[in-house]
Amino acid sequence: MSLALTPEQEDLVAALRDFLDAEVEPRRVREVMETRDGIDLELWRRMNTELGLGGALVAEEHGGTGLGLPELALIMECAGRAPVGVPLLSTALAAWTLSTVADPGPAAEPLRALASGTSITVPVLHAPDVRAESSAAGWTLHGTAEFVLDGHVADLLLVVARTPDGNALFAVDPATPGVTRRRLDMIDLTRPMATVVFEAAATRVLCAPDAQPRIARVLDVAAIALAAEQVGGAARCLELSVAHARTREQFGRPIGSFQAVKHMCADMLRAIEPARSAVYYAAHAAAGDSPEAPMLASLVKAHCAEVYTDAASATVQIHGGLGYSWEHDAHLHFKRAKTSELLFGDPARHRARLADLAGL
Amino acid sequence: MTGTREDELRAEVRHWIAAHRAEAMHTVGAHPPHDHRTGEREARWLDLLREGRWLCLSWPQEYGGRALGELECLAVGEEFARAGVRRPHLGMGESLVAPALLAHGTEEQKRRFLPRILSGEDVYCQGFSEPGAGSDLASLRTTGVVDGDELVVHGHKIWTSGATEANMMFLLCRTDPDAERHRGLTYVLVPMSGNGIEVRPIRQMAGGEGYCEEFIDGARAPLSNVIGGLGNGWRVAMTTLGAERAGEVITQYPGYRAEFDRLVARLRDLGRLADPLVRDELTRLLIRVELMRFTGRRVADELRAGNHARELLAIDKVNWSELHCDLGAAAMSLQGLGGLVRPDGDGYRVDEFQRAFLESRGRRIARGTNQIQRNIIAERALGLPK
Repeated sequence: MSLALTPEQEDLVAALRDFLDAEVEPRRVREVMETRDGIDLELWRRMNTELGLGGALVAEEHGGTGLGLPELALIMECAGRAPVGVPLLSTALAAWTLSTVADPGPAAEPLRALASGTSITVPVLHAPDVRAESSAAGWTLHGTAEFVLDGHVADLLLVVARTPDGNALFAVDPATPGVTRRRLDMIDLTRPMATVVFEAAATRVLCAPDAQPRIARVLDVAAIALAAEQVGGAARCLELSVAHARTREQFGRPIGSFQAVKHMCADMLRAIEPARSAVYYAAHAAAGDSPEAPMLASLVKAHCAEVYTDAASATVQIHGGLGYSWEHDAHLHFKRAKTSELLFGDPARHRARLADLAGL
Repeated sequence: MTGTREDELRAEVRHWIAAHRAEAMHTVGAHPPHDHRTGEREARWLDLLREGRWLCLSWPQEYGGRALGELECLAVGEEFARAGVRRPHLGMGESLVAPALLAHGTEEQKRRFLPRILSGEDVYCQGFSEPGAGSDLASLRTTGVVDGDELVVHGHKIWTSGATEANMMFLLCRTDPDAERHRGLTYVLVPMSGNGIEVRPIRQMAGGEGYCEEFIDGARAPLSNVIGGLGNGWRVAMTTLGAERAGEVITQYPGYRAEFDRLVARLRDLGRLADPLVRDELTRLLIRVELMRFTGRRVADELRAGNHARELLAIDKVNWSELHCDLGAAAMSLQGLGGLVRPDGDGYRVDEFQRAFLESRGRRIARGTNQIQRNIIAERALGLPK
């Protein structure tokens, strides 16, 4: 393993950055934020047809590109630059869940649908309230899943639910009777989430219980992917801040010549680069099924959350009145940073887990 | 990229360490004490490293080095760090004078001075800072006047680490008072004893005498000791060796981790580890210590891939020194008042955590204050205006 990017990875990053910088246009992001679903389906369609992002983690035999976790980290890092409502994180985790938790047979068709970009498939990995019951008629789901990423627009839900023999993975069509879903009105309009309620909704099982060890590994991947997104967001905040500090003049000179501003920018860089090292390290460790991977997942999720939150906060401050406006992107990062901090486990919880795993 | 030469070198290091493990000095903490003196054991270990040719690796072979490239130096550093074995460097002679000599010295100067650094005959201290010239080094006022084939130096230097141990000082003096302030400076190697240099140790916060001030009254050095020519001292003084800085980034983790682990052991003995607040603070520190491991790895990988890793090197000094301050402060806070009780014995003795608490404050001032370092990061790595 090398933490330096391969030429292929450099190309991936360049293509993604070029696309996002050109296509995620501030006015359009704000329009999408005000829509009912908060999702830019047209942008997502192009991300599939032009970049193949829906199938990035899907094996080639199912029509995907078969990329691995280091590439997932790079994709999420790029995506973090441009907060906008697209089901990238959710579908990527769905692909990984299908590939590593579901049995190969039932996983094949949904993987193909993901790779072709025809299905927004969304995982529900942590819903302690949801249980599955088996009867002669088949399996049914019961309970409420909270904060499901893109749950309101999903074409297929992959739900981890309790069974008498442990947790297993279930697939459910949201149009099935007994499924109701409601988008949550949250502070961050670029990361829509939904509450999904299951009332004896018919479902099919994708693997035998107890699948929790494999599910736990997907949760670690989710933490690493989100940490990568946080690093990308923080790096974008620094870019915005530096660009502003170089051009905005007060007292007859660029504000970036003042040490108060310089030092804020320097502190962002010295937080971001080690965080990026950690994310790359964690992604490689998870890809290699290293015994350190769970520890590293909690480490990066706890740490990168704070790096992004701090960077977004500094970015608002460095931009002055503009940084507090709706027009500027600073608030998108500021809100996304808080959402990401709390999603998939907050920093305190991950530090507690890290402490246990590190033998403190 | 992983050429066989590097693999052979790694094998050679591992073999050598295995053969000398009994005498080896192990990584104990993040940094040696400020008033550290080379003891008998360390002197013997240095001799073994000299015999094995594991010092001054990048130097050309004619001066006693191995002419190793950056990546090969890294490989050696990594192998020592992995084995948990210290590879002490030869002070500022190795880390600062030698790079300046190699970049700006004449052939005669390299042949005269480098082997004496390697053998330990010459031990250097740095005569840069003055009472009126700290961060603003170029405002220094120590003068150098050419007298025949000698330079005669008058002035006052201060905050000089290791001056009582050194027999040589590399110093900056103003040889052209009329030139623009950076241009009038000269970098010269000056003998310390019997040469009109009075050394007065200064007691430090941690109780020891890690640095000194020097009153220089007519110290003489032959003009052949001037490196890079008269008036060119600023450029010479700014020489740094990229390989050395990268090596530091890559090898600093084990020492920090060892220090962290000993703090954990201390707190376990004190029965403090069950307290969730103690655990959380320790975990925050653990994260920052572990970041050193990942960043060290990334620097090595970037350099191997032919990339520069400039940002990662630029931020390193602030990051390790701030972490050490926080580690030292936390070690005090988490132990409670009992942690402030000094060990028995004469003088102002401190234990390892008290030392870290106090001496870490010096390290974010030395080698360019962290304020100046942040300016450098902002200007050179981020391109913000001066």
